[in-house]
Amino acid sequence: MPTQNRKRYWKSREERDGAPDPAATDREFFDTPAVTGAAYTTRRGFLTAAGFGLAGAALSSCSRAPVVQAIPYLVQPEEVTPGRPYFYASTCGGCSAGCGLIVRNRDGRPVKLEGNPDHPASRGGLCAAGQASILGLYDSQRLTAPMRDGQRASWADVDGAIRTTLDDIRTQGGAVRFLTGTVTSPTVRSLIGAFLKPFPNARHVAYDALSTSALLDACEQTHGARVLPRLRFDRAEVIVSFDADFLGTWISPVEYTVGYSAGRTLRGDPPRLSYHAQFESRMSLTGGRADWRIALAPAEIGIVIGHLAERLARMADMPLAPGALPPAPVPAARLDELADRLWRARGRSLVVCASQDTSLQVLCNAMNHAVGAYGTTIDVERPSYQRAGNDRDLEALRDELSAGGVAALFIAGVNPVYDLPDGDGLAQALRTVPLVISFADHVDETSSVARYVCPDRHFLECWSDTEAVAGVVSLTQPVIRPLGESRQLIESLAVWSGAPMSACDLVRAHWTQQIYPRRRTDAPFRDFWERAVHDGVVEVTPDAPAVRPFGEAARGVMVPEAPPLPDGDFALVLYPTVGMLDGRHAHNPWLHELPDPTTKVTWDNYASFSPEAAGRIGIADGDVVRLESSDGLTGATKVIELSAHLQPGQHDRVVAVALGYGRMGTDRFAKVGPQWIEGRTTVGTNGLIGVSAAGFRTLANGVLRDTGRLVRVTKTGRTRPLAATQSHHMIAVPAALAPAGGARRPIVEETTLAAYVKDPTAGSLGHAEPTADLWPPDHPYTGHRWAMVVDLNACTGCAACVIGCQVENNVPVVGRDEVRRHREMHWIRIDRYYADGDDGGVDVIHQPMLCQHCEHASCEVVCPVLATVHSSEGLNQQIYNRCVGTRYCANNCPYKVRRFNWFDYPREDRLQNLVLNPDVVVRSRGVMEKCSMCIQRIQNARIEAARLGQPLGPNAVETACQQSCPARAITFGDANDPESPVSQARTSPRYFRVLAELNVKPAVGYLRLVRHRPEDGGERRHG
Amino acid sequence: MADMDVGALRPPLIAGHKTLAQVTEDVCAPMDGRPTALWWIGLAISVLALSLGVAAVWYMFVTGIGTWGLNRTVGWALAITNFVFWIGIGHAGTLISAILFLLRQRWRTSVNRAAEAMTIFAVICAAIFPVIHMGRAWLAYWMFPVPNMRGSLWVNFLSPLMWDVFAISTYFTISLVFWYVGLIPDLATVRDRIRGNGPRKRLFSFFSLGWSGSARTWHHYEAVYLLLAALGTPLVISVHSIVSMDFATSLIPGWHTTIFPPYFVAGAIFSGMAMVLTLMLVARKTMRLEDYITLRHVDVMTKFVLFTGSLVGLAYGTEFFIAFYSGNPYEQFAYTNRAFGPFGWAFAIMVICNVVLPQLFWSKRVRTNLAVVFVISLCVNVGMWFERFVIIVTSLHRDYLPSSWADYTPTMIEYATLIGSFGLFFTCFLLFCRFLPMIAIGEVKSVVAHDARSTGGPR
Repeated sequence: MPTQNRKRYWKSREERDGAPDPAATDREFFDTPAVTGAAYTTRRGFLTAAGFGLAGAALSSCSRAPVVQAIPYLVQPEEVTPGRPYFYASTCGGCSAGCGLIVRNRDGRPVKLEGNPDHPASRGGLCAAGQASILGLYDSQRLTAPMRDGQRASWADVDGAIRTTLDDIRTQGGAVRFLTGTVTSPTVRSLIGAFLKPFPNARHVAYDALSTSALLDACEQTHGARVLPRLRFDRAEVIVSFDADFLGTWISPVEYTVGYSAGRTLRGDPPRLSYHAQFESRMSLTGGRADWRIALAPAEIGIVIGHLAERLARMADMPLAPGALPPAPVPAARLDELADRLWRARGRSLVVCASQDTSLQVLCNAMNHAVGAYGTTIDVERPSYQRAGNDRDLEALRDELSAGGVAALFIAGVNPVYDLPDGDGLAQALRTVPLVISFADHVDETSSVARYVCPDRHFLECWSDTEAVAGVVSLTQPVIRPLGESRQLIESLAVWSGAPMSACDLVRAHWTQQIYPRRRTDAPFRDFWERAVHDGVVEVTPDAPAVRPFGEAARGVMVPEAPPLPDGDFALVLYPTVGMLDGRHAHNPWLHELPDPTTKVTWDNYASFSPEAAGRIGIADGDVVRLESSDGLTGATKVIELSAHLQPGQHDRVVAVALGYGRMGTDRFAKVGPQWIEGRTTVGTNGLIGVSAAGFRTLANGVLRDTGRLVRVTKTGRTRPLAATQSHHMIAVPAALAPAGGARRPIVEETTLAAYVKDPTAGSLGHAEPTADLWPPDHPYTGHRWAMVVDLNACTGCAACVIGCQVENNVPVVGRDEVRRHREMHWIRIDRYYADGDDGGVDVIHQPMLCQHCEHASCEVVCPVLATVHSSEGLNQQIYNRCVGTRYCANNCPYKVRRFNWFDYPREDRLQNLVLNPDVVVRSRGVMEKCSMCIQRIQNARIEAARLGQPLGPNAVETACQQSCPARAITFGDANDPESPVSQARTSPRYFRVLAELNVKPAVGYLRLVRHRPEDGGERRHG
Repeated sequence: MADMDVGALRPPLIAGHKTLAQVTEDVCAPMDGRPTALWWIGLAISVLALSLGVAAVWYMFVTGIGTWGLNRTVGWALAITNFVFWIGIGHAGTLISAILFLLRQRWRTSVNRAAEAMTIFAVICAAIFPVIHMGRAWLAYWMFPVPNMRGSLWVNFLSPLMWDVFAISTYFTISLVFWYVGLIPDLATVRDRIRGNGPRKRLFSFFSLGWSGSARTWHHYEAVYLLLAALGTPLVISVHSIVSMDFATSLIPGWHTTIFPPYFVAGAIFSGMAMVLTLMLVARKTMRLEDYITLRHVDVMTKFVLFTGSLVGLAYGTEFFIAFYSGNPYEQFAYTNRAFGPFGWAFAIMVICNVVLPQLFWSKRVRTNLAVVFVISLCVNVGMWFERFVIIVTSLHRDYLPSSWADYTPTMIEYATLIGSFGLFFTCFLLFCRFLPMIAIGEVKSVVAHDARSTGGPR
């Protein structure tokens, strides 16, 4: 070959000039940058960076541009880079708790809601319903324009007509009523007041569909101010709860969970673990966590309150005589012990009660006073504003409406026709009111009878504020241009009062006048405001009504006498579920498909019976039963028919039914999920999801009650199986089939506090994890090694992680029939096991279960096409494109965490598809999927770290499940970094791995549950 | 072939004192005349069943594999049951052709052709299921190590499913070649009987590969046949051993068992023999082949069924004993659940059909009562189908974490697919009976001649 030719040939200029490393150019994929070390970007730092751009954007968005489409950008805004997430701080509008939010925006639209770690109450937690409420933004059935007499109308027409009518009413002095739920926004509250001022006979009536009116009334009696005291579970060492599901649905579950788990961290010496006793009728989420739980009939709860109050009053030398009480349904010794615990933990104990009997609430206040809870675990000086409803006002308004004395009724944020017992009667009454204006964003039970519907916006499109707790004011800011022509309530009010202003201006004006003067800094308003917009929350001087110290009000309070329960009848308990609450989330398919934390049932409500009661009346799971009750006042008989559900741990004489179901409009879900020959519809025989139980509520004597009604239960002979993701298995296998000694599987581990104090490794079931290995390790894990630890002691089972994962990872909704066929798609599930507790009670254990990312993964070896492989960083990766769907991996997974796309799960709703996370692939039919440990978040953090030239810090990556967990039960990080929280959790004496004896070496581990148990009785922790 | 030392007291293998010409006539008779009404009815039913299956599979392809009753816990059920069942059925053919040939069991000559055909059709039926059970069946070719331009994408040789692909395709190839080689002399016989030069003649001429029937041809033929038999023999053992490893190498209690390879092979031969018995009894009656498939054949095959059935029974017992003896609570539970759990009825069917009923074959009276033999052979087929169902479904539906336990109910699409596979099998078999000599003429002739000589000519 001629070698004289020295001419260089080149393909590109780079090759000629630069001649990069040929090996590097040959590689298709780049090595992941090896980023290690200590420096990292904190969330706060990141927010600061994002926030400067944001503050300007926020201000400029105050004036509305006529364009309403969110995407695409014809002219790209300068500060938005496609593909880059932006974070905005806001406030959750999913319920009245008002938790802090961080909204993740991608390409101009919000795709995920997360908790704001800087919010002093919610501290980064966000419940399932809150996270799911983002789907409501993209709800195609949301009203996008005002309606007049059921017809779409223009704002100009509607405004003109309403203003004319209002002028008439004003001059005639007609009664104007403004009916809302609890308004936590100081701006909205004051603007409603200002709007009503010109009317001579106007009143703002607030009620809560999930009423806590008696609690507020009791506070008025004992402390002279009708407020909701702020409960500080974080400061409580002994917690006694009477029927209050404070970790699940009661008032502000995220805030309470944050506090509750802070009191049960097991840190310190002696280990911090509050004692929690729960007296309740049904099995609630909170009850499942209790150290001592007793199932009582609703009427018996009052008796126990009386007995306990009597004991504590004696100890505190307080004048209190709760009447001649029937004997307590609880062993006296245990009550003594409980009173003793409360007494010994004076100033660190807390009694909460969800009863709607004011006298019982007063007795609880007396107990709290006796144990010195006021000022420590209960804050009345800085109360919560999360509930302000007044059932007495509501009752008065209802009577006024039936009497026909109301000229104009505004209804905002509530659905009284659905909520209240006699909805049909109320609807009739509403039709006779000359002017009914609803601000509902859907056609619902109430707005369908309203003359005008002026749809309010989704909270992600709003400017607003929230003062959930006195002195903690958070802002709500729009993160997207409004979809459709809805208008914010306060803007509507401004228009009708003749001074149209944008919501942003209204909020700013209110802040200038009311919030800014309460400031604690001396920053000028502009800085104050921008800080608030950036942080989402600002702490100011509380502006709470004055309270007087606990008075003598409780002296003469008697426990109300409960009528005896006739044989054969059941006491009815109506309760909200974590997903539906009062029914406000009925349009949210994610929440319908979210398994109830305790029953694991989806897409339905049902009548829960204890297994004994079910055996007594001869019903099994899924049998349709008829519940009948005659109203004591009117004599009318109410009937509903529901599937039965057998609930261990429930009281024998109680039937429990969830509220919030049977909502108008849920017929839209009839065809959710795949449609095929044997597919069944998601809706029930009534064409709706579930059955409304509101008819069984009572609104009388100034309280809206959900419990205590007597119902007669009859079998209908029909069955309608419930769609549960988990059936009634205790941790033990069925006794008849159990091998000797193998009845209880070593899947969850728990121990008692006494044992834990003696030996922190107590409770270990001795998983014999094989140590010897013939082979060298397959995976050296030289860089990062991702791992997760779930603290079972912190986890309450609230299912926030399930929704967090669903939103983050585009997990489809499959519908009731598919769930019934055990084909739910959730990547993380919460396994619920029952176990026999002490006193014949039932213990509940929740165990979040997700892909364990095993080092010796049984799924990886069996895949014929290598569609599931191990990453160099310890992740078990599923390659959707390569998967041919043999399902061998799922069969071979001992944790059964793999999910298969049995159908092309429908995603036809194009508007709703905007919620899909662009970072995560939408999986097609026939492929396997499972938890990826949010690999897209790992990659984002890695890219961000590389861009900033910093190593990936130990807290740089947060998985979606971890981020939103109010109890902070999930720790994720690099197990190769000894400083990372996950490494430290892995060295905890409570650390164990599920099914470790299989030698699959999971990367996910768990921390053992620790409970107080009676054998701890001798233990004197507080003494 | 070498003379066999068959005593005068043994009954002849072929009854009716056939001459060689008679043998040819008898075997070729069904191919000559018009098919009987019975054949037409059989074919109609089979094609109907096949169409039902095709419709079901088509619907499944269009709609999604969710039209089967599977769920997140039970990822395999009816389809894999059918797969293992048909593979098992496919065992008898090669066993009879290859192993019994090597063991010089000359009674095999009457049944080997049909048994081999049955094997081919059963393996075809079996091979369909692993393909259609995939979530994305259109990508099934990814299971083969096809050189490709997709970077380093390759198959996973660690996966038992991969081993299946090779085991089954090898077994099918060998079975097909073996069957075809055995057919060549008979195809030539048929060719020579056809008058004229029509397409049928040309077809048979083509496939008989110019067979001349010379001693030299026969010599080569027998050498090839012997070699193929030797090649096929290990496959009889290997195929079902490898199929069993789909389960044995997993970590699901009830699957993770070292006994599986021999257990599955015994079960396969058991079910295959039962299927041969069923088909032969039907063919004997409807095709008037009583002289060729005699009571002696039935007797030998029932003994086979008795022996392998007892092996299978022993395997069942061993599984339970080892579960108990291992002290592994998961495994113990898997077996108690298998016997007494929600699918206890399937287990009961399995034990009664596979272990209890074949024991009746100890009695000579039962072995010679063809009606009873027929019923028992059918029961064994049913029982062996349920064995696979029990192994697959009961092990999966309740494994480690009780939270994930689930039940399984087949959908009508799955039933239709099962029926369709039977439709395919019988359609193929009926066409085979009609268009090819279903008894190996050449081989039977050797037995006839031998009989005539050793018994001193026709009596």
